[in-house]
Amino acid sequence: MSARIKEMVRVATARLGGEQAGAGGASSSSGFGRRESTARLGGAGTSFRRQPQPMAPTVRTVYCNDRDANAPVGYKGNSVSTTKYSILTFLPKGLFEQFRRVANLYFLMISILSTTPISPVHPVTNVVPLSLVLLVSLIKEAFEDWKRFQNDMSINNAHVDILQGQHWESTPWKRLQVGDIVRIKQDGYFPADLLFLSSTNPDGVCYIETANLDGETNLKIRKALEKTWDFVNPEKASGFKGEVQCEQPNNSLYTFTGNLIVDKQTIPLSPNQLLLRGCSLRNTVYIIGAVIFTGHETKVMMNSMNVPSKRSTLEKKLDKLILALFATLFSMCVIGAIGSGVFINEKYFYLGLRGHVEDQFNPKNRFVVTILTMFTLITLYSTIIPISLYVSIEMIKFIQCTQFINNDLHMYHAESDTPALARTSNLNEELGQVEYIFSDKTGTLTRNLMEFFKCSIGGEMYGTGITEIEKGGAERAGIKIDDDEGKRSASAVHEKGFNFDDARLMRGAWRNESNPEACKEFFRCLAICHTVLPEGEETLEKISYQAASPDEAALVAAAKNFGFFFYRRTPTTVMVRESHVERMGSIQDVPYEILNVLEFNSTRKRQSVVCRFPNGRLVLYCKGADNVVYERLADGNHDMKKTSREHLEQFGSAGLRTLCLAYRDLNREQYESWNEKFVQAKSSLRDRDKKLDEVAELIEKDLILIGCTAIEDKLQEGVPACIETLSAAGIKIWVLTGDKMETAINIAYGEASIYLDFLVNNDTKQFIISSETDAIRETEDRGDPVEIARVIKDSVKQSLKVFHEEARHSLISTPERNLALIIDGRCLMYALDPTLRVDLLGLSLICHSVVCCRVSPLQKAQVTSLVKKGARKITLSIGDGANDVSMIQAAHVGIGISGQEGMQAVMASDFAIAQFRFLTDLLLVHGRWSYLRLCKVITYFFYKNLTFTLTQFWFTFQTGFSGQRFYDDWFQSLYNVIFTALPVIIVGLFDKDVSASLSKRYPQLYKEGIRNSFFKWRVIAVWGFFAFYQSIVFFYFTAAASRHGHSSSGKILGLWDVSTMAFSCVVVTVNLRLLMACNSITRWHYISVAGSIVAWFVFIFIYSAIMTSFDRQENVYFVIYVLMSTFFFYLTILLVPIIALFGDLLYLSIQRWLFPYDYQIIQEQHRDEPHEYSRVQLPETSHLSPEEARSYMISMLPRESSKHTGFAFDSPGYESFFASQQGVGVPHKAWDVARRASMKQQKAGKS
Amino acid sequence: MDSHAAGSSSGGSGDGGAPPRRNSRKPKYSKFTQQELPACKPILTPKWVVLVFLIVGVIFVPIGIVSLRASQQVVEIVDRYDDACVPAANENDKLAYIKNQTIPKTCNRTLTVTKDMKQPIFVYYQLDNFYQNHRRYVKSRNDGQLRDKSKASDTSNCDPEATVDGKPIIPCGLIAWSLFNDTYNLILNNKNLTVDKKDISWKSDREHKFGSHVFPSNFQKGRLQGGKILNSSIPLSEHEDLIVWMRTAALPTFRKLYGRIYVDLKVNDTITVQLENNYNTYSFGGKKKLVLSTTTWLGGKNDFLGLAYLTVGGLCFFLAFAFTLLYLIKPRKLGDNNYLSWNRPPVGRR
Repeated sequence: MSARIKEMVRVATARLGGEQAGAGGASSSSGFGRRESTARLGGAGTSFRRQPQPMAPTVRTVYCNDRDANAPVGYKGNSVSTTKYSILTFLPKGLFEQFRRVANLYFLMISILSTTPISPVHPVTNVVPLSLVLLVSLIKEAFEDWKRFQNDMSINNAHVDILQGQHWESTPWKRLQVGDIVRIKQDGYFPADLLFLSSTNPDGVCYIETANLDGETNLKIRKALEKTWDFVNPEKASGFKGEVQCEQPNNSLYTFTGNLIVDKQTIPLSPNQLLLRGCSLRNTVYIIGAVIFTGHETKVMMNSMNVPSKRSTLEKKLDKLILALFATLFSMCVIGAIGSGVFINEKYFYLGLRGHVEDQFNPKNRFVVTILTMFTLITLYSTIIPISLYVSIEMIKFIQCTQFINNDLHMYHAESDTPALARTSNLNEELGQVEYIFSDKTGTLTRNLMEFFKCSIGGEMYGTGITEIEKGGAERAGIKIDDDEGKRSASAVHEKGFNFDDARLMRGAWRNESNPEACKEFFRCLAICHTVLPEGEETLEKISYQAASPDEAALVAAAKNFGFFFYRRTPTTVMVRESHVERMGSIQDVPYEILNVLEFNSTRKRQSVVCRFPNGRLVLYCKGADNVVYERLADGNHDMKKTSREHLEQFGSAGLRTLCLAYRDLNREQYESWNEKFVQAKSSLRDRDKKLDEVAELIEKDLILIGCTAIEDKLQEGVPACIETLSAAGIKIWVLTGDKMETAINIAYGEASIYLDFLVNNDTKQFIISSETDAIRETEDRGDPVEIARVIKDSVKQSLKVFHEEARHSLISTPERNLALIIDGRCLMYALDPTLRVDLLGLSLICHSVVCCRVSPLQKAQVTSLVKKGARKITLSIGDGANDVSMIQAAHVGIGISGQEGMQAVMASDFAIAQFRFLTDLLLVHGRWSYLRLCKVITYFFYKNLTFTLTQFWFTFQTGFSGQRFYDDWFQSLYNVIFTALPVIIVGLFDKDVSASLSKRYPQLYKEGIRNSFFKWRVIAVWGFFAFYQSIVFFYFTAAASRHGHSSSGKILGLWDVSTMAFSCVVVTVNLRLLMACNSITRWHYISVAGSIVAWFVFIFIYSAIMTSFDRQENVYFVIYVLMSTFFFYLTILLVPIIALFGDLLYLSIQRWLFPYDYQIIQEQHRDEPHEYSRVQLPETSHLSPEEARSYMISMLPRESSKHTGFAFDSPGYESFFASQQGVGVPHKAWDVARRASMKQQKAGKS
Repeated sequence: MDSHAAGSSSGGSGDGGAPPRRNSRKPKYSKFTQQELPACKPILTPKWVVLVFLIVGVIFVPIGIVSLRASQQVVEIVDRYDDACVPAANENDKLAYIKNQTIPKTCNRTLTVTKDMKQPIFVYYQLDNFYQNHRRYVKSRNDGQLRDKSKASDTSNCDPEATVDGKPIIPCGLIAWSLFNDTYNLILNNKNLTVDKKDISWKSDREHKFGSHVFPSNFQKGRLQGGKILNSSIPLSEHEDLIVWMRTAALPTFRKLYGRIYVDLKVNDTITVQLENNYNTYSFGGKKKLVLSTTTWLGGKNDFLGLAYLTVGGLCFFLAFAFTLLYLIKPRKLGDNNYLSWNRPPVGRR
């Protein structure tokens, strides 16, 4: 048996080998793509379209319930670790990480150099700052890793029941071993990849939620092998001795091959028996499973990429700046070294160069002198590399994260009590430069709550609500819309799935409408035509509906609220409690006999039910996508069709998901002749689905349109406004949604266009690349996978070319026109092929927005890296589910939506926020400020160190290029650490160009970050120029001022007096220069700047007053007192800083006046406004508005217990897909509505 | 997997899967965390620019005038004598001249006083092309030895003038070794002017850096004599020439104080200087100058400060004017929307 499977796989792989190679080994992605293809064709159960399986050469053999037998293989344990370091590797690895920074490596080298005699400075000068830097960085790393470790521990120590002998024993997850038998209770998470043995449900099924894997919240079914159904209780399970042979661990979530050998019988295993770690059990009391893959070998762990240590783009650019500094340093050293070689000469007898002289000064060997001086100078000028820069940046970022981002009340979500959380502190400034946002849809943009919102019946529109999108549009147009949520009639019904209010329809009022019959049909259609199962007490309040998609449940809930209460389903009937039908207030229970169900699938895009009224009336009710339904309408009644069409468009543009409802009265003969064909088709063995579809076509015609429904996939609060703001900020938003389009009865791209609608204006040109074209479908029907692949690839290639051309034309001819690209996952798979990648990138970069539907997690990541690497733009991914993890990790910045169930995305993210709309604050306020501040900090560091070092350099020319230091050792080492350290950190924390509210009011300001306006080479060059200018002023002016300088007592100053004077000037100037660069000056600025200058003087007063017993040259002894006894010291210290800052002031004035930055204009516009404490008036209280309270309540509704079972619209569902994939004749669609209903009845009867 | 695994997930509250917590995780408000610290937001408006330049100008020009006047009041007589003191016979080989101990080095120079000079008049020597700031030179001393008698044998850093015949040199090192040894004898109207050599060094140096119990020993006993020979019976703290010399100069051209004369000089007084031209600057082409100078409150003659102040002050006035012009010629409304990049055509963006 096993051999057979292997053989099959081998053949399949051989056939598709080339293609797979092309897919770049992205096995998971191709697996997903194929899943789609098979899914669509899933109906053809007899066609053996097998997919290649990633099959390692060897096979894993697991002996269930037998630890000893498994022991020799040495499978890995179940504990997982996501930490970067362990105790042992921390030091070497952490140090290695640190020395990846050029500057740190350089300082290590310098420190080593400075211990040699060629160094002009004492080793302490370099070693102390370096160790300080490393220490701080390592502590930070350790702290962050510790948090990761604690998180791992909490997972590893979660408990699960494991079979020990004859009873269950609670054991931590980490103790789990391959082969163990475990019991998972309802709502529990699977601790490892399990082989599903048995469940408490009949027929050995269980329901699982895979939200953690793919974000889909509808439940999936898993079915155990019949052979193992009985092992439900510990006594029996302990007797289970099976042997599992299966594939080696791999990352493909949707495939699994293996055999179970039990009682010398070999039974093939399919993904249907595999329960993946991370999923959770639903609607099942408990299940029993055997552990197959553990820990890091589980599919979900294999699927998640390594946690990359991200570095911000600014930091990478900083490395370039450091390299430039190295180049500068090198040329300075070369100049100095050559000078020294030329200078050195025996004639300077006072240097004692005769006879035996050390190599460095030996005039007999000028070459050696040059080389050695080179090293001397490198050590001397090492201050050009700002060593404390990294520490300062890290400190600034850390405080920005922990104090500002985490504590921002604007990003605190009161409803879920979730503040924002910065999980890494490396990427703050990256937030200020994001150009592309990749967003997940469900749960990120939307709340994943469907609500019946509006409808149109017989050409009349009902429903008074206003959608978020409409609000956004109105705001854009400048119209003020009353937020009427609070004011709505108190009688309005609010419940899950229903958010509709119109007095004309509610409480039977519809009977007074112009067309009550149409209303009746409309409500009946809603109440009858569906595949929902009611659950719980059969009362209006207590009942709950099980539906595959929230849409369906919303429709049935709507019918309930209109007085058509669907409360019971039997295999053949639907029971509806109808009120107000005959007369107001009357209630009657009406059984409708369901004769046929024509189920939904993605090609049909509609669903029909044939039912018989108690009075014998035969009706076909149909609901479906508008284009599908309109095609099948009977002639006539054009006015109503036209108005309905208009309503549909209106709904669509309001972002609602629409469905058309229609019906058809049937006469008996007609029906019976058709029913024969239907029964025939249903019982056919070959191409049953296809035949069923054909038969359905025969009866779904000449329909009469009743109206249409509009369901709101409720957007999160403020999403349109947020997107509006972000687009205004020059950020392009791509929506990558993993949603299966089939789950919503909708036009394939309806959803997408909704989102596009607020991504861009209405006047949008759309480019749609879909795999749902006729040509592709035809090929699919022929069924040759190679051919299908070829056709799709060709069509994708074609469309890309054409669209690219068109887009370029459009860009030239009508540049204001917005372009949008919509592509589905299957086409994307081919478009991401290396040969087409360039075209895809080109096209998508021209487009203003891109929507990718039905993409796999890996494809999300691929798209993200496509833009990240291909376009070299800064990307941000935001998502809420585990399916977004790879995308979050692939992007420059990953953002997780927190405060909801599932923490996978948050765990992988760099920042976690509770709501999509908080992106505005995170990017436009925190990101922009961080970027601005860090640019300022970095350029300032660059400037102050260059200035300092250049003074040193000018001095070298006066010393015969000997490398004599100008400053005292301690001046030099404390310059960065004390005298200029604090103010720049204060600026990095507090500098604000414009206030937070203005940042959001003028989102365009953000573009300065995208353009990288503040860290361009030009900006650096300007700073560099002024560093050059100032250093000349410092050295030559102080030298000139003290030339022949005698005090009034006639005494002469020496080298150290001059240098101390110069150093004082440098410290004063450099600190004042920072003040000039500030946009806002708080008292901390004053304190730190004044403090630094005072610190210098205090230091020099003390330092030059003491004589220590240590062996040091008493160069600066008493220097400052000597200086202070002269007048010209004061004159110099007034003159030099002002001359030095003169140029800067000139530049700043001219720049501001003639070439102002955007923020400067905004500053000027709002210069007279008082300090904004407006933010103080935040909604301080925890009091929620009624609307907030409502949405909070809804969000609090336990989703777990909403028992959708994932059938109704899940026709190309999991099991059929796997079935066809396996090529094993698993009966598919065994679980149709009728049978389920009957099963429920049996259960109910038994209990 | 995620921390939910630990327990049943409880819907929207919290992220740890823990039961809903009563104490809110709402951040506390503070001006610091909300980044609302009160701040002054200076904007370089034209008014400010002009004002700043005017203020600097107003302050600088007077200071400049005063400093320049002070500098101009100083009377300075400079006489270069290195070439002039070489006898004609040795014109071609000055090095041989200076090295030849047998040739008398005495030389007479006549200086004419250009302006009245009030006492005290300071006598300096000025050396040129003398790299007292060369790294090899600067470090070639041992401060401990200079200060402390007990550290007499500590001659680290002093190479190559550390020891002679195994005995430590005090004071060791190249700086001391190359001590300047020209001497000046000033004669006014045939009367010797006493050159006061007391208190020519900084008090702090004298009292703390050079010990009063440290006496020169083995000094200038090496193969080559570098400069002046010190009287080994006088402690280092009283060798003020040495102390002055050892406060190394910042630049290769420097002056050192030689002594003071307490006599007022009149215009056209001629001073005859009898000098011993011992010091070898010929080998490296350095100049030697004798300087007589008075001082003011500002110090010696140095026009630089005054000129710099005046220039900057003047420039400030000019710039204040120029900016006023600029603001008039190229006016722009403060906060003009047309200057926003998104309101401008894409070209010309800085």
